[in-house]
Amino acid sequence: MIDIVKAYEDEFNKLVELYEKNTNDNSLKNKGVASIIVSGNKVVGLNTLKGIDVKSKTRGDGVVIIDVDIQDNTVIPIPVHLCTGFLEKKGEQLLQFNYNIGANVKVRFKSHCILTKIEKLHHKMISQMYIGKNSFVTYEDEHFHDENGGIFVETITYAKLDKNAFFQSKFYATKTRIGRINVVMDFDLDDYAKADLESKIYGKKDDKIDIQEILRLNGQYSSGIAKSSIFATDSTEANVINEAYGNGAYSKGHIECNEVVKGSNVLVSTVPILKVVNEKSELTHEASVGRIRQDQLDILMSKGLDEEEAVNIIVNGLIS
Amino acid sequence: MLRLENIKYSRNSKEIIKGVTINFEDNKITSIIGSNGVGKSTLAYIIMGLSDYKPNDGKIYLDDKDITDFSITERARLGISLLWQEPARFEGLTVKDYLSLGGKIKLDVIKDALNLVRLNPDVYLSRYVDKKLSGGERKRVEIASCILLKPKFLIMDEPDSGIDLMSLDMIVDIMKYLKDNGTGVIVITHREEIATHSDYSYLICDGKVLKSGVCSDIIDYYRSTCDLCDNVNAPKENLI
Ligand SMILES: Nc1ncnc2c1ncn2[C@@H]1O[C@H](COP(=O)(O)OP(=O)(O)OP(=O)(O)O)[C@@H](O)[C@H]1O
Ligand SMILES: [Mg+2]
Repeated sequence: MIDIVKAYEDEFNKLVELYEKNTNDNSLKNKGVASIIVSGNKVVGLNTLKGIDVKSKTRGDGVVIIDVDIQDNTVIPIPVHLCTGFLEKKGEQLLQFNYNIGANVKVRFKSHCILTKIEKLHHKMISQMYIGKNSFVTYEDEHFHDENGGIFVETITYAKLDKNAFFQSKFYATKTRIGRINVVMDFDLDDYAKADLESKIYGKKDDKIDIQEILRLNGQYSSGIAKSSIFATDSTEANVINEAYGNGAYSKGHIECNEVVKGSNVLVSTVPILKVVNEKSELTHEASVGRIRQDQLDILMSKGLDEEEAVNIIVNGLIS
Repeated sequence: MLRLENIKYSRNSKEIIKGVTINFEDNKITSIIGSNGVGKSTLAYIIMGLSDYKPNDGKIYLDDKDITDFSITERARLGISLLWQEPARFEGLTVKDYLSLGGKIKLDVIKDALNLVRLNPDVYLSRYVDKKLSGGERKRVEIASCILLKPKFLIMDEPDSGIDLMSLDMIVDIMKYLKDNGTGVIVITHREEIATHSDYSYLICDGKVLKSGVCSDIIDYYRSTCDLCDNVNAPKENLI
């Protein structure tokens, strides 16, 4: 049975409803799907499966601490769902996830942040992750906001990948306006470990986007890709820093930043930092800044799409 | 009916369209002919409502509704569309995605449209509408897209450009297909093989309608008169 904290049943239901509306997915009520549901600064719903242990507490200062432990050799076929929401109009939501993932684990996480109907919010999520030997972990994070831009999101992830571990992360905030966002992903890779980081963000009006992705390729034969795609319109400001450090022998890293801009008030910058410490390491980078053309918009609008739909189609194609 | 009433349009203080009045009939093929640079494409953009092509004077009506101030999207939703002379390219969008833009369309219907433009669906559905399609392939995909939209009026700006000569009959078949399926076709062309299938023709010169009538008469006139006229874009007063 899904453990719905009785006192918060109402909030649980409201969030689940919002989630289903935004994602067309009804797995939060499915007891075959592991899930952690956070509303404001408390866990309101929890469903664990064999091999996963979740403990949560709200600290005196309001930070919600969630420890997720996954035992060695656990294989979870259906993604673990994390859903965080905020049902008030204003406030602060501070979350700290500590993941301790054993060896030979196979798990996927799907995280959704539903921050709609909000005037002003600071949402900060710090994740510390240890991924054991030979484990395979994917983490997909998608944000749903609304169009007023009063949200400041900070998502900071520190991860350590043990030998031959694999981690893939996808961070998406493309469906609605982001507000202000600061993404930091700092990854430390042991021998033969592999990380694949991707973020896609759509900025509108005076949104401000900061992304920093760091690959510390410490182990021999470790490898990583850090790829960011930004679509900046109106007077969005976006700063992307991708870093790769080739410390281990035969480590391989690739960092990439693609920006699509529309409008003349957009301010975007991308800075690659590559440091080859071990001469047998190999690092590459790629960057591009593209523009949407009026004839592309016109042709899509002549098929009945409005400008926003047309922009979305072009951008999704460009940053796919 | 789509009606242009005394449309005038200037660009950089140069008058390009100098008072055009035309009634385009439903379910008919109307051709627009004329020499290079007389304002045919400009007229097409004015009808579609592109942002830089708002007329300085005159009105556009669709079935008595004044649409002069409508956006491209609004006009498209009322059933006006345009086959672009050189359609734009899109990265990351497959032919299948592109042909589904107008809404939920059954795959079989999409395949039928590709067959009409003589593109093998098995080969082309998964291709991208990007720079890798040849000019003619891109144009054919665009024609298929216009067919699927089932517009009330479709302006075809040189539908044969980029299409090999062997396939001119395909363009003619498609114009007829559109007409049979409820579309009023407005075709801008330099080709007699195409114009000859129209129900009515307009000859444009210097931003004005120089003459209109059944196509054969207009082509005869164009041949006999315009060929001799060295005043392209400045017809002698006695010709008008
Ligand atoms: N963006 C522009 N700025 C300035 N003048 C323009 C612009 N676009 C078109 N014109 C001018 O307007 C006139 C009409 O151009 P238009 O493209 O409508 O001609 P057309 O009849 O379609 O010619 P063609 O048969 O060559 O396609 C031409 O003199 C052209 O040079
Ligand atoms: Mg033209």
